[in-house]
Amino acid sequence: MIKNLVRVCVLVIMFFSVSCGESDEVAVVMPVEDFFVKSEKNSFKLSPDGSKIAYIGIDNHCRNIYILDLTDEKKSKQLTYQEDVNVQYFFWTSDSTMVYSNSYAAIDSARIFSINIFNEEAVSILPSSDAHLRWVYPQRLYKDYLLASINARDSSVFDLYKVFIDGRTPELLTENPGNVITWFASSDGEVRLAVTSDSVEEGILYRSANTEVFKQVEVTDYQTLIKPLGFVKGSDTHIYALSNDGRDKLSVVEYDISEGKETKIIYGNSKVDIGDAWYSDYLEELVFSEYTIDRVEKNFFNKKFKTSFQKLAAHFEDQDVYVLNTDTSLRNWVVKVSTDVNSGALYHYDSNIDSVKLLTKINPKLDDKQLAKKQPISFQSRDGLAVNGYVTYPKGMGKRNLPVVVLIHDGPYSRDYIDFESEVQFLANRGYLVFQVNYRGSAGYGKKFWSAGFKEWGGKMQLDIMDGVTWLIHQGIVDKNRVAIMGTGFGGYSALYGATYNSSFYRCAISMSGYTNLFTYFKEIPPYRQQFIKLFYHTIGNPDREHELFKAISPLFHADRVRIPILFAQGGSDRYSSLTDANQFVQKVKNNNIPIKYLYKEDEGRRFRDEGNLIHYYQEVEAFLKAYLK
Amino acid sequence: MAYNQLKYRKNFGLLVAYVILVTILFVIAMSAGRTTIVNLIETEFNNKKVEVFDKSVEPFHNFFNEKIPEISYYQGFLDSVKAVSYVNDVIRKNPFVEKILFYDITITNSDSIEAGIKYNNLLVYPKSVTSFRLDVGNRLITERVHSDERRYNIEDFNSMVLKFIGFLDRVTETTSLSDDEIYKVFYTMNAGKVSYMNIPRIADLLSYKSMMSNADSPVAFYDQDLFMFFINPSKIKINNVQPNLYETIDILPIVSGSVSDESNYMETELLLPGALSDYKLQFVSSERFINKEVGRRFLPVSLAVSAVYLILILIAYLIYRNVIINDKLFRLQYDFINNLTHEFKTPVSVIKIAGNNIQSGDKLSVDEQRMYGRILDQEADKLNSLMNKLLSFAQIENKSIKPNRQEVDVLEFCEPIFSAVELKYPDFQFTYHINVQNDMFVDKTLLASVFQNLIDNAYKYSEPNRKILHVDIQQSKKNFVVKFKDQGIGINKKEFNSIFKKFYRVKNQFNQQGSIGLGLAFCKEIIDFMGGEIKVDSAVNEGTTFTLLLPLGPKKN
Repeated sequence: MIKNLVRVCVLVIMFFSVSCGESDEVAVVMPVEDFFVKSEKNSFKLSPDGSKIAYIGIDNHCRNIYILDLTDEKKSKQLTYQEDVNVQYFFWTSDSTMVYSNSYAAIDSARIFSINIFNEEAVSILPSSDAHLRWVYPQRLYKDYLLASINARDSSVFDLYKVFIDGRTPELLTENPGNVITWFASSDGEVRLAVTSDSVEEGILYRSANTEVFKQVEVTDYQTLIKPLGFVKGSDTHIYALSNDGRDKLSVVEYDISEGKETKIIYGNSKVDIGDAWYSDYLEELVFSEYTIDRVEKNFFNKKFKTSFQKLAAHFEDQDVYVLNTDTSLRNWVVKVSTDVNSGALYHYDSNIDSVKLLTKINPKLDDKQLAKKQPISFQSRDGLAVNGYVTYPKGMGKRNLPVVVLIHDGPYSRDYIDFESEVQFLANRGYLVFQVNYRGSAGYGKKFWSAGFKEWGGKMQLDIMDGVTWLIHQGIVDKNRVAIMGTGFGGYSALYGATYNSSFYRCAISMSGYTNLFTYFKEIPPYRQQFIKLFYHTIGNPDREHELFKAISPLFHADRVRIPILFAQGGSDRYSSLTDANQFVQKVKNNNIPIKYLYKEDEGRRFRDEGNLIHYYQEVEAFLKAYLK
Repeated sequence: MAYNQLKYRKNFGLLVAYVILVTILFVIAMSAGRTTIVNLIETEFNNKKVEVFDKSVEPFHNFFNEKIPEISYYQGFLDSVKAVSYVNDVIRKNPFVEKILFYDITITNSDSIEAGIKYNNLLVYPKSVTSFRLDVGNRLITERVHSDERRYNIEDFNSMVLKFIGFLDRVTETTSLSDDEIYKVFYTMNAGKVSYMNIPRIADLLSYKSMMSNADSPVAFYDQDLFMFFINPSKIKINNVQPNLYETIDILPIVSGSVSDESNYMETELLLPGALSDYKLQFVSSERFINKEVGRRFLPVSLAVSAVYLILILIAYLIYRNVIINDKLFRLQYDFINNLTHEFKTPVSVIKIAGNNIQSGDKLSVDEQRMYGRILDQEADKLNSLMNKLLSFAQIENKSIKPNRQEVDVLEFCEPIFSAVELKYPDFQFTYHINVQNDMFVDKTLLASVFQNLIDNAYKYSEPNRKILHVDIQQSKKNFVVKFKDQGIGINKKEFNSIFKKFYRVKNQFNQQGSIGLGLAFCKEIIDFMGGEIKVDSAVNEGTTFTLLLPLGPKKN
């Protein structure tokens, strides 16, 4: 009897000690700058034959291209030597040439060159002008030219051009009838498919050859997306596409572009959209598709690739493996491996010999042991919609009555999932519960969920966020008196909205480039994206017709209602909100004697990019939360 | 001369001088105070107008700094219908805004429109012009201004647009709008008129510029909103934050002259700024009004000065009283010495005579011998008791002796004293009654001298044919109550307090000699000393009762 009792006691004690093992010690506070280290090497890309990997590295404070020779390490070298401009991007066009673009700033006009990797001779392939260039998919070389669309003729329309890699003047191939937004080439270089849009309706155009005239084969409404992936091998009429035509979720389908009909559903998921599908231009077949419920899942179409992937995944148990890049034969891969508590690393994988080689660590400074896991949660909004979110518990602080930072994702057409996020880890490391929520209107959960957010910027989208926090409060996880709201872009707008209209619910708000004035936001849609205006009329509203709505949900008009402290960060060249608006908002709040910290960085855009500015911002965030949320 | 120096010196002249001086100072302080206040009010009258100005112009400033920039929030999305809610807000809350003209401006590079201001390829023209005002019933009247009526304000519109176009020429990618530039470009201020055009984003400015300079840029239309506010400064509500300084404040056209030329009016002016600049604020106060204000401010000052003055006068009175009391005391002491001398003199002269008689007498009979012996002994005893009295009084007063308190049986204590009375004063009708249970706890010697004193007094201050004394000793719950009740001449009520004072003597025929005014003072000291109390009650010509309250001792066994 007594023996049994002792046994039970021992079991109980063991149980407790095991469960205590979970909630380990309080995390060591790591310096701000460790979280936001920018990887110095990125854009690793395999050459078509898989013998080399090129990447962008930093030389002399500028981004330059480097080449890693996989067969003979001695041949590895730096390819470009730019001292005052950055390489923005590059891609291989053959085993010996690549195309790259450089500029002073990301939004500068195109300066595009082709370069021979052996003799390092660069040729400008586009006369300099104010025009923008978009490469036509698939991004590959046909004999001596690439296909691209350029808005040189009229800044609001992109015509189809042949861009020669030897530097000849680009040749106009097809003039844009006016509303084509995407051109799509077959493997023989004939552009048989074009997608038009007036933002409310999308049309699919087909022609059998470059010489023919496009005819419209299908019109879809603004909620429907048909995203071409590539042509079915041997066919000029059938393509693989991601489509939600006639269904709620994006699925992988086969589509007949000559008829404008979906012929087959290849793969779909009932809960979420298929996020992406990998199509090999060279094999002309689908390799795998990906979808994300909480973590990225893969579905394979290519059996050999599947076996290789499983072998690779065995090296990294319970970690997320992203295939970034392969050679044409799918033998060599560049992969990224990470989890929510591991900032990750890039590896080169040779699937023939099952060898994994580290290329670079993304953030070597961060101590993974101090990072906190993201956990999925799900709750019902007040009108009964199931909404998903994620909570990241600060390490070693228990799971009750925590101060929370509600971190709202930008977009709003994007989403949060379980992955590594420096911002989340930084906040959790400072002792705050981080709550992220995929409010209605977020991407990935299907058409219905997306459209539920239409014209709800200042309505149900904000209520979903509050409902999530309320749910956490009712679970006893969150201290209702310590709720902060924070975000960038739309997230910043939500923070300002919360500060303006729900001052009693939130304790303080942090906005990075939050929109103070939706009239201004609306005005920013540049002329060459005028086709999106009508979509915005549906998603946000029409500032002409729904004038009062715009006025009602723009924090600037109601700044006198703000009652909680705000940290207001603004980039001088953020195009979505004007400096005059920002200054007015800050001044109005100040006039009411509400503490508002105004962090203005003249050279920054919507998101701060300069490491110094970014660190300054997060230092201010830390001090602000310490002052108002502790 | 020497005598004068010894005399107590009373110089009331000094006091009088002091009082006069203080009074002069009082008058000077009062008048100086008043002059300062008048000067202060004059200075304030000229300086505080800024406060009135700030407060009165505040609504205009709010309108100018907060309400006008709000136009930019709408980023050109306003039209004549949507502008109504904004206009309503402005025109109703700010009565000085009389009329608002709203230009819904289109900026385009299209050449299909003819009217408007064209610069290179850029055409700026008002799509519509709307005027807003309130009618007498406070209804908002919205009127479309037709093109033929537009010429009235055409120069303002043109100057705004020209400024704007001039600015466009300077805009580059790196332009950031400074506050100064915003003010210079997007505002136009004339007397009675403020014009404002919404500030577009830099990106818009750049596209305007490219439309302007680039002949073949695609046709585009942009909206700008221009508001012209007509200000009537005379409708600004004056907020007289200094109602005590300014009797009337008016907003008058800047050219209007002074209303009155009466010299006793205080008057000052302040010019209004910016769009109000053809008007001024005029501040006027009448003499009566200013005097009232002077009076109001002077009151506390005069009260304070008067209070100080009264205190000083009070001090003078106290000094005066002190002098009088000291003088009285001096007199008492002087009397005391006189009496004392007299008291000593009598026995000394008796002793002297007796001594002389003994010396000159050839043969003294036994009777004579005895008589002189008795006289000498008596007089020596008198002197001795006099000195004892003085000494013990001084000692008790200085607390230099300690009472030797012991338990005493009341009867045992009283018997010898009372029987001695009958021996001493054979013509005294002396009765007593004792009814006590407890013993006394007193100093026998001291108490006996108190009894003796009171008995002596009763005998002394009684008509020869009415020398009656009754002593009654009783016990209350807390005390022994000892009453000495005589039927003597009595004491005036006014003197009840004084009779226990040192050197005080009631003035009557019974104490012309042989009194030094110490007896009752001595009794009171002793009784106080033993923790008791002495009280007097008396009626003139009827008799006096002295009551002693003495603490109870332990119960008799």
